[in-house]
Amino acid sequence: MKKLVLVFFVLLLSISFISANASEDAAVDVDKAAPVTIEFWHAMSGTRIDLIQSIADDFMAENPNITVEVQYAGSYNDTLNKVISAVKGGNPPSVFHSYEIGTLGLINSGMIMPLDEAAVKYDLPIAWDDFFVPVQSYYKYQGQHYSMPFNSSTPLIFYNKTLFEKAGLDPENPPKTYEEIRAAAVKLKASGIDTPVTWNLHSWYFEQMICLQDAPFVNTSNGRGSELPTEVVFNSAAGNKVLDWWIGMYNDGLFMDVGPGWSNHRAAFGAGEVAMVMSSSSDVNLLTASLAEKGWEMGTGFIPRPDGATGGVAIGGGSLWMTNNHSPEEELAALKLVQYISSDVPQMAWHKGTGYFPVRKTAMEKLEKEGWFVENPNYLTAFDQLLVSPETLNTAGSLLGVFPETRSIIQSSIQECYAGKPVSEALDEAAAKVNALIAEWNEVIGL
Amino acid sequence: MKQSSFSNKYLPYILLLPTYSILVVFLFYPAFESFRLSFFKVNPYSGAEKFAGFYNLIKIFTNPDYLSSFVLSLVFAVSVVVGGLIVSLLLALLLNQKIKGAKVYRSLLIWPYALSPAIAGALFNFLFNPATGIVGYFTGMRTWMTNGNTAMFVIVLAATWKNLGYNIVFYLTALRNVPRNALEAAEIDGAGPFRRFFSITFAFISPMTFFLLVMNTTYAYFSSFGLIDILTEGGPAGSTNILIYQLYRDFFVNSRIGYAAAESLVLFMLVVGITFIQFRTTEKKVHYQ
Repeated sequence: MKKLVLVFFVLLLSISFISANASEDAAVDVDKAAPVTIEFWHAMSGTRIDLIQSIADDFMAENPNITVEVQYAGSYNDTLNKVISAVKGGNPPSVFHSYEIGTLGLINSGMIMPLDEAAVKYDLPIAWDDFFVPVQSYYKYQGQHYSMPFNSSTPLIFYNKTLFEKAGLDPENPPKTYEEIRAAAVKLKASGIDTPVTWNLHSWYFEQMICLQDAPFVNTSNGRGSELPTEVVFNSAAGNKVLDWWIGMYNDGLFMDVGPGWSNHRAAFGAGEVAMVMSSSSDVNLLTASLAEKGWEMGTGFIPRPDGATGGVAIGGGSLWMTNNHSPEEELAALKLVQYISSDVPQMAWHKGTGYFPVRKTAMEKLEKEGWFVENPNYLTAFDQLLVSPETLNTAGSLLGVFPETRSIIQSSIQECYAGKPVSEALDEAAAKVNALIAEWNEVIGL
Repeated sequence: MKQSSFSNKYLPYILLLPTYSILVVFLFYPAFESFRLSFFKVNPYSGAEKFAGFYNLIKIFTNPDYLSSFVLSLVFAVSVVVGGLIVSLLLALLLNQKIKGAKVYRSLLIWPYALSPAIAGALFNFLFNPATGIVGYFTGMRTWMTNGNTAMFVIVLAATWKNLGYNIVFYLTALRNVPRNALEAAEIDGAGPFRRFFSITFAFISPMTFFLLVMNTTYAYFSSFGLIDILTEGGPAGSTNILIYQLYRDFFVNSRIGYAAAESLVLFMLVVGITFIQFRTTEKKVHYQ
């Protein structure tokens, strides 16, 4: 019996991690006297930690009475969970970093200081006209900007110019439509590449290709209306068109299923297993370098659309949020910090260091003057793709409270299609599952 | 045995206090909270709660995805536990022989246990990934992780491998404690190596096998989400989506707090139940010295 009790405790220990997480964040005293200290939690790992620290250091040099304590808080999910715990514990960071799909949740979270509200309160207006239209329109909800765009990216097509040439394709003229991609893939396959196209299993591409057709993803004006969305509409003709094409290429042996995650498709592209991938525009540096290792040249193109589609890409990435319930000194310092990070000099450094593009047109113009795009022509593709994006509610990007789970459901459906389920059936089932989740979310968010 | 006693009758409680305060803060309270929350609907941001009775539990058991995950977990746990115990016992038996460099082999075999699940996942991804996986290259089959059945096989393989070191250490200890005179007596009586193993060695290590059975069941049910997150994210199409991974996603990614709490309650009950059955059925066959 004693052993049974022991085992019971072991099991108890194993499951207690669930709420133990709530108490793991360290408390930091906020000095309310003149030199003000604020915390800034972000979700960028690796060399980006140092880059963000150096941006914060430059900010502190300009504002000697403000100390910014920068912390890498793990993935977007980890960061968000830690911020929520910290808010409950009464010690939230003044500024934190969140992914774009967390936007509607955060707007309704009750723990946020809307950015435009802070800008008015402290009379530090933000020149939104300087920002790229898709960038600033994503974070604008019913006329108000809630957070500061920070790391922004869109998908791009990356192709291996050398292998294109070998297959008799024009290396300076990447395919732009579904039919052109397919035709190029057929030629590449004929030239000896077994499965010439791939991208990682990610719902993001599906969402973007719906935006490109200027179709909504959710109801209530793509989640941007006065009511919270109540159902998804990705099982529309537009959604079916995307997957019919995508799965069709898979079924015909033109598309390699590399599964989820961000490493497999990059590796396949770098090894020449495939000649064309879709990936984030922030991969330009990485992919150029990995092809150069083999002496291959890389090109970039806009992500494909069906013939005649008139939409554009929506922005992906993350933004910086201010939490509420801080002293005016801290709020002002936080506002100054996010404004600084989105200004030209840090944005240019950020772009060069990471591949995310700067959020401001002015920063892009400065990069152009420096001759940056002459050296790095592939970066220009992402900008061009953004600049031709029309401003509509659909291309602003969809807002949805249950986005993370929706993405898993869509990805699961795509895998069901790989295994033979008809596209329309898979999409309808996915939509029904998401709709049930939305109803539940709308109820708990009102509590 | 002489029972030591304390002169001050409060002293034992004071000595126990540090342990219990840690247990209460980090174990009892969080576990209690998880159980309590499973009967509530919870706002993921403010933490505002509304009593919902059995709503979450009913949701769980009427969700076909959850039920299939339930079955998958069982398949996964049985494979990992049975496969892991057999392989590690075999390896431990080999290591227990008098061979040159046994210490080196022992250290090498225990190594995988020291890896974090994320690193172990990365290693198996290196072997099996569809684009550049080495196993895919040599077998001519790329779809190890993108086909539902083989993906489960890879996950089981990874989880088993990851825990081998732990099992081997315990089995080695148990094997060292098998009394030599019993084995020699059997040998003199003419028992062959298999007979010696099954009638003597196996009987002497049965308490350890039982202990490992319980620990490995717990491991299979609770500690494998890191591997799955790196390798398959529960896919393809939910075919490696075992309960603990779904629970991890529902709490940490999907922020469905009440629902995740109910899942943890179910998982807890399930493993308590399995352990109880193991005690009831298996322990009778275990011989303690």
